[in-house]
Amino acid sequence: MTDTQVPRGSRIRLGRVDGDLRVERGASIDVEGRLIVSGEARFEGNAEILGDLECRDFSNEDGTVRISGDLTVQQALRADDGSLVVGGSLSAERVDIDRELHVKGPARAREFDIGGALDGEATLTAEKVSVGGRLRIAGKLEARSVEAGGAVEISEASLDRLEVGGLAHLGGGEVRESIEVGGRFVAESSFKFGSLEVGGLAEFRGDGTGGSIDVGGVLTARGNLSFSKLEVGGIGTIGGTAKGESVDVGGKFDVRGPLELARSLEVGGAVSVGESVTGDRLEVGGSLEARRAVFQGSAEIGGAVRTRDGLKAASIELHRKSHAIGPLVGGRVEIGRMSRAEDVYGSTVEVGPKSRAGRIFAERIRLGENAEVDEVQYTVELRAEEGVRIRSPPQQVSRLPPFPL
Amino acid sequence: MVGGRDDVGALPRRREVSDLYATVLEVVKRYHGAARITRVSYGAGMPVDRVRNFMDRLLALGLLKSEEVDGRPVYDITARGQEFLDTYWKMRGYIEVLGRTTENGSARGHRRPGPPGA
Repeated sequence: MTDTQVPRGSRIRLGRVDGDLRVERGASIDVEGRLIVSGEARFEGNAEILGDLECRDFSNEDGTVRISGDLTVQQALRADDGSLVVGGSLSAERVDIDRELHVKGPARAREFDIGGALDGEATLTAEKVSVGGRLRIAGKLEARSVEAGGAVEISEASLDRLEVGGLAHLGGGEVRESIEVGGRFVAESSFKFGSLEVGGLAEFRGDGTGGSIDVGGVLTARGNLSFSKLEVGGIGTIGGTAKGESVDVGGKFDVRGPLELARSLEVGGAVSVGESVTGDRLEVGGSLEARRAVFQGSAEIGGAVRTRDGLKAASIELHRKSHAIGPLVGGRVEIGRMSRAEDVYGSTVEVGPKSRAGRIFAERIRLGENAEVDEVQYTVELRAEEGVRIRSPPQQVSRLPPFPL
Repeated sequence: MVGGRDDVGALPRRREVSDLYATVLEVVKRYHGAARITRVSYGAGMPVDRVRNFMDRLLALGLLKSEEVDGRPVYDITARGQEFLDTYWKMRGYIEVLGRTTENGSARGHRRPGPPGA
Protein backbone atom coordinates (compact mmCIF):
# COMPACT_ATOMS: atom_id res chain seq x y z
CA MET A 1 0.00 0.00 0.00
CA THR A 2 1.66 3.28 -1.11
CA ASP A 3 0.93 6.81 -0.02
CA THR A 4 -1.11 9.00 -2.32
CA GLN A 5 0.51 12.38 -2.81
CA VAL A 6 -1.13 15.56 -4.05
CA PRO A 7 1.60 17.88 -5.37
CA ARG A 8 2.05 21.48 -4.31
CA GLY A 9 -0.49 23.87 -5.82
CA SER A 10 -2.24 21.14 -7.84
CA ARG A 11 -5.97 20.44 -8.19
CA ILE A 12 -7.09 16.85 -8.50
CA ARG A 13 -10.19 14.71 -8.07
CA LEU A 14 -10.24 11.85 -5.56
CA GLY A 15 -12.80 9.34 -4.26
CA ARG A 16 -11.01 6.77 -2.12
CA VAL A 17 -7.43 6.41 -0.88
CA ASP A 18 -6.09 3.13 0.51
CA GLY A 19 -3.26 4.05 2.86
CA ASP A 20 -2.12 7.57 3.72
CA LEU A 21 -2.85 10.77 1.81
CA ARG A 22 -0.19 13.48 1.70
CA VAL A 23 -1.33 16.89 0.51
CA GLU A 24 1.28 19.52 -0.21
CA ARG A 25 0.85 23.26 0.31
CA GLY A 26 -1.71 25.03 -1.86
CA ALA A 27 -3.35 21.85 -3.21
CA SER A 28 -7.07 21.54 -3.87
CA ILE A 29 -9.04 18.29 -4.00
CA ASP A 30 -12.43 17.84 -5.68
CA VAL A 31 -14.26 15.00 -4.04
CA GLU A 32 -16.21 12.28 -5.82
CA GLY A 33 -19.02 11.58 -3.40
CA ARG A 34 -17.05 11.27 -0.18
CA LEU A 35 -13.26 11.12 0.07
CA ILE A 36 -12.36 8.16 2.27
CA VAL A 37 -8.75 7.75 3.40
CA SER A 38 -8.04 4.45 5.17
CA GLY A 39 -4.88 5.85 6.81
CA GLU A 40 -3.75 9.34 7.74
CA ALA A 41 -4.65 12.49 5.82
CA ARG A 42 -1.58 14.70 6.19
CA PHE A 43 -1.57 18.32 5.05
CA GLU A 44 1.61 20.36 4.68
CA GLY A 45 0.22 23.91 4.72
CA ASN A 46 -2.84 25.58 3.24
CA ALA A 47 -5.14 23.24 1.32
CA GLU A 48 -8.79 22.73 0.50
CA ILE A 49 -11.12 19.77 0.18
CA LEU A 50 -14.27 20.44 -1.83
CA GLY A 51 -16.58 17.85 -0.30
CA ASP A 52 -16.63 15.41 2.61
CA LEU A 53 -13.52 13.77 4.07
CA GLU A 54 -13.29 10.66 6.22
CA CYS A 55 -9.95 9.39 7.50
CA ARG A 56 -8.32 7.45 10.32
CA ASP A 57 -6.07 10.34 11.45
CA PHE A 58 -5.78 13.95 10.32
CA SER A 59 -2.76 16.21 10.64
CA ASN A 60 -1.87 19.64 9.37
CA GLU A 61 1.23 21.72 9.82
CA ASP A 62 1.65 25.47 9.42
CA GLY A 63 -1.41 26.47 7.43
CA THR A 64 -5.17 26.42 7.15
CA VAL A 65 -7.07 23.45 5.78
CA ARG A 66 -10.58 24.16 4.52
CA ILE A 67 -13.08 21.37 4.12
CA SER A 68 -16.34 22.38 2.49
CA GLY A 69 -18.29 19.32 3.65
CA ASP A 70 -18.24 17.01 6.65
CA LEU A 71 -15.02 15.86 8.31
CA THR A 72 -14.96 12.50 10.07
CA VAL A 73 -11.74 11.46 11.78
CA GLN A 74 -11.79 8.07 13.48
CA GLN A 75 -8.91 8.83 15.80
CA ALA A 76 -6.80 11.97 16.25
CA LEU A 77 -7.10 15.33 14.51
CA ARG A 78 -4.03 17.51 14.96
CA ALA A 79 -2.90 20.85 13.54
CA ASP A 80 0.55 22.11 14.54
CA ASP A 81 0.79 25.87 13.99
CA GLY A 82 -2.30 25.40 11.88
CA SER A 83 -6.02 26.10 11.63
CA LEU A 84 -9.00 24.16 10.35
CA VAL A 85 -12.22 25.35 8.73
CA VAL A 86 -15.03 22.82 8.30
CA GLY A 87 -18.11 23.73 6.27
CA GLY A 88 -20.18 20.78 7.50
CA SER A 89 -20.06 18.62 10.61
CA LEU A 90 -16.94 17.53 12.48
CA SER A 91 -16.41 14.25 14.29
CA ALA A 92 -13.16 12.96 15.82
CA GLU A 93 -11.86 11.14 18.87
CA ARG A 94 -9.52 13.96 19.86
CA VAL A 95 -9.01 17.42 18.34
CA ASP A 96 -5.74 19.27 19.02
CA ILE A 97 -5.27 22.49 17.06
CA ASP A 98 -2.69 25.18 17.76
CA ARG A 99 -4.46 28.09 16.09
CA GLU A 100 -8.16 28.16 15.23
CA LEU A 101 -11.05 25.83 14.52
CA HIS A 102 -14.19 27.03 12.73
CA VAL A 103 -17.05 24.57 12.26
CA LYS A 104 -20.38 25.33 10.60
CA GLY A 105 -22.14 22.09 11.43
CA PRO A 106 -22.40 20.05 14.64
CA ALA A 107 -19.03 19.16 16.19
CA ARG A 108 -18.35 16.11 18.34
CA ALA A 109 -15.16 14.74 19.92
CA ARG A 110 -14.08 13.32 23.24
CA GLU A 111 -11.69 16.23 23.71
CA PHE A 112 -11.12 19.58 22.01
CA ASP A 113 -7.80 21.29 22.77
CA ILE A 114 -7.52 24.55 20.82
CA GLY A 115 -4.75 27.10 21.31
CA GLY A 116 -6.36 30.17 19.74
CA ALA A 117 -10.08 30.18 19.03
CA LEU A 118 -12.92 27.73 18.58
CA ASP A 119 -15.91 29.00 16.66
CA GLY A 120 -18.92 26.72 16.18
CA GLU A 121 -22.05 27.74 14.28
CA ALA A 122 -24.08 24.77 15.55
CA THR A 123 -23.82 22.39 18.51
CA LEU A 124 -20.70 21.02 20.15
CA THR A 125 -20.56 17.82 22.19
CA ALA A 126 -17.47 16.70 24.10
CA GLU A 127 -16.18 15.50 27.43
CA LYS A 128 -13.58 18.23 27.70
CA VAL A 129 -13.10 21.50 25.84
CA SER A 130 -9.99 23.59 26.41
CA VAL A 131 -9.37 26.81 24.49
CA GLY A 132 -6.50 29.22 25.06
CA GLY A 133 -8.31 32.25 23.67
CA ARG A 134 -11.93 32.53 22.63
CA LEU A 135 -14.73 29.98 22.45
CA ARG A 136 -18.01 30.72 20.70
CA ILE A 137 -20.75 28.16 20.18
CA ALA A 138 -23.93 29.39 18.51
CA GLY A 139 -25.89 26.26 19.47
CA LYS A 140 -25.93 24.03 22.50
CA LEU A 141 -22.64 23.05 24.13
CA GLU A 142 -22.71 19.78 26.04
CA ALA A 143 -19.55 18.83 27.93
CA ARG A 144 -18.24 17.80 31.29
CA SER A 145 -15.66 20.59 31.50
CA VAL A 146 -14.99 23.73 29.48
CA GLU A 147 -11.99 25.99 29.98
CA ALA A 148 -11.00 29.12 28.08
CA GLY A 149 -8.33 31.70 28.74
CA GLY A 150 -10.08 34.60 27.05
CA ALA A 151 -13.80 34.71 26.41
CA VAL A 152 -16.63 32.21 26.13
CA GLU A 153 -19.94 32.81 24.38
CA ILE A 154 -22.40 29.93 24.44
CA SER A 155 -26.07 30.05 23.42
CA GLU A 156 -27.09 27.14 25.62
CA ALA A 157 -24.87 25.33 28.09
CA SER A 158 -25.21 21.87 29.55
CA LEU A 159 -21.96 21.48 31.46
CA ASP A 160 -20.54 20.14 34.68
CA ARG A 161 -17.74 22.72 35.02
CA LEU A 162 -16.87 26.02 33.35
CA GLU A 163 -13.63 27.94 33.89
CA VAL A 164 -13.02 31.17 31.98
CA GLY A 165 -10.27 33.76 32.25
CA GLY A 166 -12.03 36.82 30.90
CA LEU A 167 -15.69 36.92 29.92
CA ALA A 168 -18.33 34.20 30.07
CA HIS A 169 -21.54 35.06 28.25
CA LEU A 170 -24.17 32.32 28.37
CA GLY A 171 -27.55 32.42 26.71
CA GLY A 172 -29.00 30.02 29.25
CA GLY A 173 -28.91 26.41 30.39
CA GLU A 174 -27.05 24.97 33.34
CA VAL A 175 -23.60 24.37 34.76
CA ARG A 176 -24.21 21.61 37.26
CA GLU A 177 -21.03 21.84 39.35
CA SER A 178 -18.85 24.96 39.30
CA ILE A 179 -18.32 28.15 37.31
CA GLU A 180 -15.13 30.15 37.75
CA VAL A 181 -14.78 33.36 35.76
CA GLY A 182 -11.95 35.85 36.15
CA GLY A 183 -13.62 38.90 34.68
CA ARG A 184 -17.27 39.03 33.88
CA PHE A 185 -20.13 36.54 33.85
CA VAL A 186 -23.39 37.19 32.04
CA ALA A 187 -26.37 34.82 31.85
CA GLU A 188 -28.97 36.11 29.38
CA SER A 189 -31.94 34.02 30.53
CA SER A 190 -32.91 31.61 33.30
CA PHE A 191 -29.83 29.82 34.48
CA LYS A 192 -28.97 27.01 36.92
CA PHE A 193 -25.58 26.50 38.48
CA GLY A 194 -23.79 24.58 41.21
CA SER A 195 -21.45 27.31 42.40
CA LEU A 196 -20.37 30.59 40.83
CA GLU A 197 -17.12 32.45 41.47
CA VAL A 198 -16.48 35.66 39.53
CA GLY A 199 -13.58 38.06 40.00
CA GLY A 200 -15.20 41.18 38.57
CA LEU A 201 -18.84 41.46 37.50
CA ALA A 202 -21.66 38.93 37.50
CA GLU A 203 -24.94 39.65 35.79
CA PHE A 204 -28.08 37.52 35.67
CA ARG A 205 -30.49 38.95 33.08
CA GLY A 206 -33.07 36.27 33.89
CA ASP A 207 -33.69 34.26 37.04
CA GLY A 208 -30.74 32.45 38.63
CA THR A 209 -30.89 29.30 40.73
CA GLY A 210 -27.86 27.70 42.31
CA GLY A 211 -25.51 27.15 45.21
CA SER A 212 -22.82 29.48 46.48
CA ILE A 213 -22.05 32.77 44.71
CA ASP A 214 -18.81 34.66 45.26
CA VAL A 215 -18.34 37.87 43.28
CA GLY A 216 -15.32 40.09 43.84
CA GLY A 217 -16.80 43.27 42.43
CA VAL A 218 -20.43 43.73 41.47
CA LEU A 219 -23.42 41.38 41.23
CA THR A 220 -26.56 42.31 39.34
CA ALA A 221 -29.62 40.09 38.99
CA ARG A 222 -32.57 41.50 37.06
CA GLY A 223 -34.96 38.76 38.16
CA ASN A 224 -35.17 36.35 41.07
CA LEU A 225 -32.06 34.80 42.55
CA SER A 226 -31.78 31.80 44.83
CA PHE A 227 -28.50 30.63 46.31
CA SER A 228 -26.92 29.04 49.35
CA LYS A 229 -24.22 31.53 50.32
CA LEU A 230 -23.87 34.88 48.56
CA GLU A 231 -20.66 36.89 48.96
CA VAL A 232 -20.10 40.12 47.06
CA GLY A 233 -17.03 42.29 47.55
CA GLY A 234 -18.59 45.51 46.33
CA ILE A 235 -22.19 46.04 45.28
CA GLY A 236 -25.07 43.58 44.98
CA THR A 237 -28.40 44.37 43.28
CA ILE A 238 -31.29 41.94 42.87
CA GLY A 239 -34.31 43.11 40.89
CA GLY A 240 -36.73 40.40 42.05
CA THR A 241 -36.88 38.16 45.09
CA ALA A 242 -33.78 36.79 46.79
CA LYS A 243 -33.72 33.54 48.73
CA GLY A 244 -30.77 31.77 50.29
CA GLU A 245 -28.86 30.78 53.40
CA SER A 246 -26.64 33.81 53.96
CA VAL A 247 -25.48 37.06 52.39
CA ASP A 248 -22.20 38.88 52.96
CA VAL A 249 -21.77 42.09 50.97
CA GLY A 250 -18.82 44.43 51.45
CA GLY A 251 -20.41 47.59 50.17
CA LYS A 252 -24.04 48.06 49.24
CA PHE A 253 -26.87 45.57 48.76
CA ASP A 254 -30.25 46.29 47.16
CA VAL A 255 -33.10 43.83 46.76
CA ARG A 256 -36.26 45.06 45.10
CA GLY A 257 -38.51 42.22 46.27
CA PRO A 258 -38.39 40.21 49.50
CA LEU A 259 -35.15 38.83 50.89
CA GLU A 260 -35.52 35.51 52.67
CA LEU A 261 -32.48 34.03 54.44
CA ALA A 262 -32.07 30.99 56.65
CA ARG A 263 -28.98 32.38 58.32
CA SER A 264 -27.15 35.72 58.37
CA LEU A 265 -27.23 39.00 56.48
CA GLU A 266 -23.96 40.91 56.81
CA VAL A 267 -23.48 44.14 54.89
CA GLY A 268 -20.54 46.52 55.31
CA GLY A 269 -22.36 49.53 53.93
CA ALA A 270 -26.05 49.94 53.22
CA VAL A 271 -28.76 47.37 52.59
CA SER A 272 -32.10 48.23 51.04
CA VAL A 273 -34.95 45.73 50.64
CA GLY A 274 -38.16 46.80 48.89
CA GLU A 275 -40.29 44.20 50.68
CA SER A 276 -39.65 42.23 53.88
CA VAL A 277 -36.31 40.78 54.95
CA THR A 278 -36.13 37.69 57.16
CA GLY A 279 -33.22 35.71 58.56
CA ASP A 280 -31.47 34.55 61.67
CA ARG A 281 -28.86 37.26 62.20
CA LEU A 282 -28.34 40.80 60.88
CA GLU A 283 -25.15 42.83 60.95
CA VAL A 284 -25.07 46.10 59.03
CA GLY A 285 -22.20 48.57 59.18
CA GLY A 286 -24.14 51.41 57.59
CA SER A 287 -27.88 51.36 57.16
CA LEU A 288 -30.83 49.01 56.70
CA GLU A 289 -33.94 50.01 54.81
CA ALA A 290 -36.87 47.60 54.36
CA ARG A 291 -40.65 47.39 54.59
CA ARG A 292 -40.19 45.04 57.53
CA ALA A 293 -37.22 43.15 58.96
CA VAL A 294 -37.60 40.06 61.12
CA PHE A 295 -34.60 38.14 62.51
CA GLN A 296 -34.73 35.16 64.85
CA GLY A 297 -31.39 36.01 66.50
CA SER A 298 -29.51 39.29 66.79
CA ALA A 299 -29.63 42.50 64.77
CA GLU A 300 -26.70 44.88 64.98
CA ILE A 301 -26.80 48.17 63.07
CA GLY A 302 -23.96 50.65 62.83
CA GLY A 303 -25.74 53.60 61.28
CA ALA A 304 -29.42 53.79 60.49
CA VAL A 305 -32.46 51.56 60.23
CA ARG A 306 -35.58 52.63 58.39
CA THR A 307 -38.63 50.38 58.19
CA ARG A 308 -42.33 50.93 57.69
CA ASP A 309 -43.63 47.98 59.73
CA GLY A 310 -40.64 47.60 62.04
CA LEU A 311 -37.50 45.67 62.87
CA LYS A 312 -37.90 42.61 65.07
CA ALA A 313 -35.11 40.43 66.50
CA ALA A 314 -34.28 38.50 69.68
CA SER A 315 -31.75 41.23 70.39
CA ILE A 316 -31.30 44.58 68.68
CA GLU A 317 -28.23 46.76 69.05
CA LEU A 318 -28.02 50.21 67.52
CA HIS A 319 -24.53 51.67 67.70
CA ARG A 320 -23.79 55.19 68.91
CA LYS A 321 -25.20 58.10 66.90
CA SER A 322 -27.47 55.74 64.99
CA HIS A 323 -30.97 56.54 63.83
CA ALA A 324 -34.03 54.26 63.72
CA ILE A 325 -37.21 55.07 61.84
CA GLY A 326 -40.05 52.60 62.37
CA PRO A 327 -40.72 50.51 65.47
CA LEU A 328 -38.03 48.34 67.06
CA VAL A 329 -39.31 45.09 68.52
CA GLY A 330 -37.00 42.84 70.45
CA GLY A 331 -36.26 40.76 73.38
CA ARG A 332 -33.38 42.94 74.42
CA VAL A 333 -32.99 46.33 72.70
CA GLU A 334 -29.91 48.51 73.19
CA ILE A 335 -29.83 51.98 71.69
CA GLY A 336 -26.35 53.49 71.69
CA ARG A 337 -25.50 56.94 73.05
CA MET A 338 -26.59 60.02 71.11
CA SER A 339 -28.95 57.93 68.96
CA ARG A 340 -32.54 58.49 67.92
CA ALA A 341 -35.38 55.99 67.75
CA GLU A 342 -39.16 55.95 67.44
CA ASP A 343 -41.31 53.42 69.33
CA VAL A 344 -39.44 50.58 71.03
CA TYR A 345 -40.90 47.28 72.29
CA GLY A 346 -38.95 44.64 74.23
CA SER A 347 -38.42 42.62 77.35
CA THR A 348 -35.45 44.83 78.24
CA VAL A 349 -34.82 48.22 76.62
CA GLU A 350 -31.73 50.33 77.26
CA VAL A 351 -31.53 53.84 75.88
CA GLY A 352 -28.01 55.29 75.84
CA PRO A 353 -26.97 58.70 77.22
CA LYS A 354 -28.13 61.77 75.25
CA SER A 355 -30.33 59.58 73.08
CA ARG A 356 -33.91 60.24 72.13
CA ALA A 357 -36.80 57.77 71.74
CA GLY A 358 -40.56 57.83 71.21
CA ARG A 359 -42.69 55.46 73.25
CA ILE A 360 -41.08 52.56 75.10
CA PHE A 361 -42.99 49.41 76.11
CA ALA A 362 -40.94 46.86 78.06
CA GLU A 363 -40.67 44.75 81.18
CA ARG A 364 -37.49 46.54 82.18
CA ILE A 365 -36.39 49.96 80.96
CA ARG A 366 -33.13 51.75 81.60
CA LEU A 367 -32.61 55.32 80.44
CA GLY A 368 -29.07 56.77 80.28
CA GLU A 369 -27.97 60.26 81.32
CA ASN A 370 -29.84 63.10 79.63
CA ALA A 371 -31.91 60.70 77.52
CA GLU A 372 -35.27 61.99 76.27
CA VAL A 373 -38.35 59.78 75.87
CA ASP A 374 -41.96 60.61 74.96
CA GLU A 375 -43.64 57.88 77.00
CA VAL A 376 -42.76 54.73 78.97
CA GLN A 377 -44.88 51.74 79.98
CA TYR A 378 -43.19 48.99 81.99
CA THR A 379 -44.21 45.97 84.04
CA VAL A 380 -41.17 45.29 86.27
CA GLU A 381 -38.58 48.07 86.50
CA LEU A 382 -37.73 51.59 85.30
CA ARG A 383 -34.28 53.03 85.95
CA ALA A 384 -33.56 56.56 84.87
CA GLU A 385 -30.16 58.25 85.26
CA GLU A 386 -29.45 61.91 85.86
CA GLY A 387 -31.00 64.44 83.50
CA VAL A 388 -33.51 62.04 81.92
CA ARG A 389 -36.66 63.66 80.50
CA ILE A 390 -39.89 61.70 80.04
CA ARG A 391 -42.63 63.82 78.48
CA SER A 392 -45.61 61.87 79.93
CA PRO A 393 -45.62 60.46 83.44
CA PRO A 394 -44.14 56.91 83.42
CA GLN A 395 -46.72 54.14 83.77
CA GLN A 396 -46.16 50.81 85.48
CA VAL A 397 -48.75 48.45 83.99
CA SER A 398 -49.71 44.85 84.69
CA ARG A 399 -49.76 44.02 81.02
CA LEU A 400 -48.03 45.59 78.04
CA PRO A 401 -49.93 46.30 74.81
CA PRO A 402 -49.49 43.72 72.02
CA PHE A 403 -46.17 44.16 70.19
CA PRO A 404 -46.20 44.72 66.44
CA LEU A 405 -44.81 42.04 64.04
CA MET B 1 -9.82 38.60 24.61
CA VAL B 2 -9.33 39.70 28.15
CA GLY B 3 -10.21 43.35 28.58
CA GLY B 4 -10.41 43.85 24.86
CA ARG B 5 -13.08 44.75 22.38
CA ASP B 6 -14.76 41.37 22.64
CA ASP B 7 -16.39 41.99 25.99
CA VAL B 8 -20.10 41.52 25.37
CA GLY B 9 -22.01 44.52 26.63
CA ALA B 10 -18.88 46.34 27.65
CA LEU B 11 -17.74 49.55 26.09
CA PRO B 12 -15.06 48.94 23.49
CA ARG B 13 -11.66 50.06 24.67
CA ARG B 14 -8.08 49.47 23.74
CA ARG B 15 -6.20 46.85 25.67
CA GLU B 16 -3.85 48.46 28.13
CA VAL B 17 -0.63 46.93 29.37
CA SER B 18 -2.28 45.59 32.51
CA ASP B 19 -4.94 43.91 30.31
CA LEU B 20 -2.19 42.22 28.30
CA TYR B 21 -0.44 40.91 31.40
CA ALA B 22 -3.76 39.58 32.68
CA THR B 23 -4.48 38.00 29.29
CA VAL B 24 -1.16 36.17 29.31
CA LEU B 25 -1.66 34.98 32.88
CA GLU B 26 -5.18 33.73 32.19
CA VAL B 27 -4.06 31.79 29.13
CA VAL B 28 -1.10 30.26 31.00
CA LYS B 29 -3.44 29.30 33.85
CA ARG B 30 -5.64 27.28 31.48
CA TYR B 31 -2.78 24.88 30.71
CA HIS B 32 -2.27 23.83 34.34
CA GLY B 33 1.52 23.93 34.34
CA ALA B 34 2.04 22.82 30.73
CA ALA B 35 1.73 26.12 28.83
CA ARG B 36 4.03 26.39 25.83
CA ILE B 37 4.89 29.81 24.50
CA THR B 38 3.32 29.20 21.07
CA ARG B 39 0.04 28.15 22.65
CA VAL B 40 0.11 31.22 24.90
CA SER B 41 0.77 33.34 21.82
CA TYR B 42 -2.30 31.96 20.02
CA GLY B 43 -4.46 32.14 23.13
CA ALA B 44 -3.49 35.71 23.92
CA GLY B 45 -3.61 36.82 20.28
CA MET B 46 -0.08 38.21 20.42
CA PRO B 47 3.00 37.38 18.34
CA VAL B 48 5.45 34.98 19.97
CA ASP B 49 8.26 37.55 20.33
CA ARG B 50 5.93 40.00 22.06
CA VAL B 51 4.43 37.39 24.32
CA ARG B 52 7.94 36.26 25.24
CA ASN B 53 8.74 39.77 26.51
CA PHE B 54 5.60 39.79 28.63
CA MET B 55 6.34 36.33 30.01
CA ASP B 56 9.95 37.27 30.85
CA ARG B 57 8.65 40.23 32.81
CA LEU B 58 6.04 38.10 34.59
CA LEU B 59 8.74 35.56 35.44
CA ALA B 60 10.96 38.32 36.84
CA LEU B 61 8.09 39.56 39.00
CA GLY B 62 7.36 36.08 40.30
CA LEU B 63 3.90 35.98 38.75
CA LEU B 64 4.87 33.08 36.48
CA LYS B 65 7.22 30.14 36.91
CA SER B 66 8.75 27.88 34.29
CA GLU B 67 10.47 24.51 34.02
CA GLU B 68 11.96 22.42 31.23
CA VAL B 69 9.90 19.49 29.98
CA ASP B 70 11.31 17.45 27.07
CA GLY B 71 13.90 20.19 26.51
CA ARG B 72 11.29 22.93 26.11
CA PRO B 73 10.16 25.49 28.68
CA VAL B 74 6.62 25.21 29.99
CA TYR B 75 4.98 27.83 32.18
CA ASP B 76 2.59 27.97 35.10
CA ILE B 77 1.01 30.75 37.13
CA THR B 78 2.22 31.32 40.72
CA ALA B 79 0.18 32.21 43.80
CA ARG B 80 1.32 35.82 43.32
CA GLY B 81 0.13 35.67 39.73
CA GLN B 82 -3.27 34.49 40.88
CA GLU B 83 -3.30 37.32 43.42
CA PHE B 84 -2.60 39.77 40.59
CA LEU B 85 -5.53 38.35 38.58
CA ASP B 86 -7.92 38.49 41.54
CA THR B 87 -7.04 42.15 42.14
CA TYR B 88 -7.10 43.01 38.45
CA TRP B 89 -10.59 41.59 37.87
CA LYS B 90 -11.99 43.16 41.00
CA MET B 91 -10.70 46.57 39.93
CA ARG B 92 -11.99 46.07 36.38
CA GLY B 93 -15.43 45.36 37.82
CA TYR B 94 -15.43 48.55 39.89
CA ILE B 95 -14.00 50.64 37.05
CA GLU B 96 -16.73 49.47 34.69
CA VAL B 97 -19.47 50.27 37.21
CA LEU B 98 -17.93 53.67 38.00
CA GLY B 99 -17.66 54.34 34.26
CA ARG B 100 -21.33 53.50 33.76
CA THR B 101 -22.46 55.77 36.60
CA THR B 102 -20.34 58.65 35.35
CA GLU B 103 -21.88 58.35 31.89
CA ASN B 104 -25.37 58.35 33.36
CA GLY B 105 -24.46 61.65 34.98
CA SER B 106 -25.24 60.30 38.42
CA ALA B 107 -23.28 58.91 41.28
CA ARG B 108 -26.20 56.63 42.12
CA GLY B 109 -25.49 53.76 39.81
CA HIS B 110 -28.68 51.82 40.05
CA ARG B 111 -32.26 52.27 41.05
CA ARG B 112 -33.11 51.82 44.69
CA PRO B 113 -36.48 50.66 45.83
CA GLY B 114 -38.62 53.45 47.23
CA PRO B 115 -38.62 54.10 50.94
CA PRO B 116 -40.78 51.72 52.96
CA GLY B 117 -44.33 52.90 53.12
CA ALA B 118 -43.97 55.19 50.14
